[in-house]
Amino acid sequence: MAGLLGRERIIASATFNRWLIPPCALATHLCIGQAYALSVFSLPLTRQLGVTQSVPGDWTLVDLGWIFSIAILMLGLSAALFGTWVQSQGPRKAGFVAALCWGSGFFIGALGVHLHQLWLVYFGYGAIGGIGLGIGYITPVSTLISWFPDRRGMATGLAIMGFGGGALVASPLSDVLMRYFASPTSTGVVQTWLVLGIAYLLFMTGGAFGYRLPPAGWSPAGWTPPQRKAGSLITTRQVTAQQAIKTPQFWFLWVVLCFNVTAGIGVISQASAMIQEVFRGRINASAAAGFVGLLSLFNMGGRFLWASLSDKIGRKATYAIFFTLGPLLYALVPASGRIGSIALFVSAFCIILTMYGGGFATIPAYLSDVFGTKYVSAVHGRLLTAWAAAGVLGPVLVNYIRQSQIDNGVPKYQAYNVTMYIMAGLLLVAFFSNLLVKPVHERFAEETEPSARPVAA
Amino acid sequence: MTNIAEIQKGAMVNALLVGAAWAAVGIPLLWGVIQTLFKAAALFR
Repeated sequence: MAGLLGRERIIASATFNRWLIPPCALATHLCIGQAYALSVFSLPLTRQLGVTQSVPGDWTLVDLGWIFSIAILMLGLSAALFGTWVQSQGPRKAGFVAALCWGSGFFIGALGVHLHQLWLVYFGYGAIGGIGLGIGYITPVSTLISWFPDRRGMATGLAIMGFGGGALVASPLSDVLMRYFASPTSTGVVQTWLVLGIAYLLFMTGGAFGYRLPPAGWSPAGWTPPQRKAGSLITTRQVTAQQAIKTPQFWFLWVVLCFNVTAGIGVISQASAMIQEVFRGRINASAAAGFVGLLSLFNMGGRFLWASLSDKIGRKATYAIFFTLGPLLYALVPASGRIGSIALFVSAFCIILTMYGGGFATIPAYLSDVFGTKYVSAVHGRLLTAWAAAGVLGPVLVNYIRQSQIDNGVPKYQAYNVTMYIMAGLLLVAFFSNLLVKPVHERFAEETEPSARPVAA
Repeated sequence: MTNIAEIQKGAMVNALLVGAAWAAVGIPLLWGVIQTLFKAAALFR
């Protein structure tokens, strides 16, 4: 089995079509993207004992919120810890391990729900599933960049778009399954998790076994690597993950990702309540759910569009757009609330969400430009700790500032204004952090090839 | 002659594989997008 999963078994033949790799990557990311749809189980899980309504002993929403937090924390930690392992073992073994962890997470979680043992749900979905999330997230990155050196942004954008799209599939699918399995004695969550676990295990395994690595020296037909110009961010050298974290560039990009995600997560976590409170009496719960759905679509679309655009205009310029346009849009939100323009409010957040998704999707290509392609999965894994930090920072900022505003007598519909200005400020900090990203000093590089020497511009 | 036929057959198999792989991920994703669009329509009613 170990041989079957090894790197040497997946070197592609000369006739292999590289367009088979993005669907394999999507198969992984569409499955793990389910994490964003976990909230669909929140209410049913609060009435596991009472079934039709919560009874004493049932779990609370606060208890259940920890499942997602643990999963995202484990995503960041496992991506950082196992990044080098993923890089060395190749995408098939890493993808298969991710499938096992993600599938097992559902099975153990289902057992926890069945036995009504919350710690087992935390351990199963949160910890084991979270490891699957981390490994699965970084698995296809390096492979895609190897196959698409001419379109790094588009290729990784396609995969990471799947993570955004996973919730769009999982949310209605979970609804359908829970309705099918629900009975007078069951909410249907246990059976739904078992079915999802089997489906994800099979789908991700299929994706993992589809991965191929390009033969040594392979490059797309008719493509020659562009000559590196002096001062260009795109390097031909290779920086290991251990060296990368010693560079200031890594930490500038860490801030870029962290603050971009913090701003976006803050909005996503409060989107439904925010639009209902800002436009009280005009937006009901159903319309607010529609708003959340719309944000998910823009989040997904932005991942592909911005990452593809970054191939044309460069990564630094792409993030410069995010951090110029973003603060303007955040600052516009309170005004749209004051003048009562739902269209302006919705449009601003839709564009913000494209940039939130675009920030995730463009970062692997940015890392491969700055640190080289060879260790990009490992470097990306370490950078994802920024996501884990933002996962805590974003909701905390929004929730606490809103509550403190309300406690100070600010009306609910104006309670988000300060938060929006703070988010705009965070993006401005990220703007300068992005500006500071310069080519990595050659002392950090693994080796210097004579052909890789920069040429004069 | 045989070589050309083999290459053509290989290209066809490759094209079919690529189509099947994209359909396997594209169809569920498209279904999810349509479901979300229906949900989002409530915002504009």
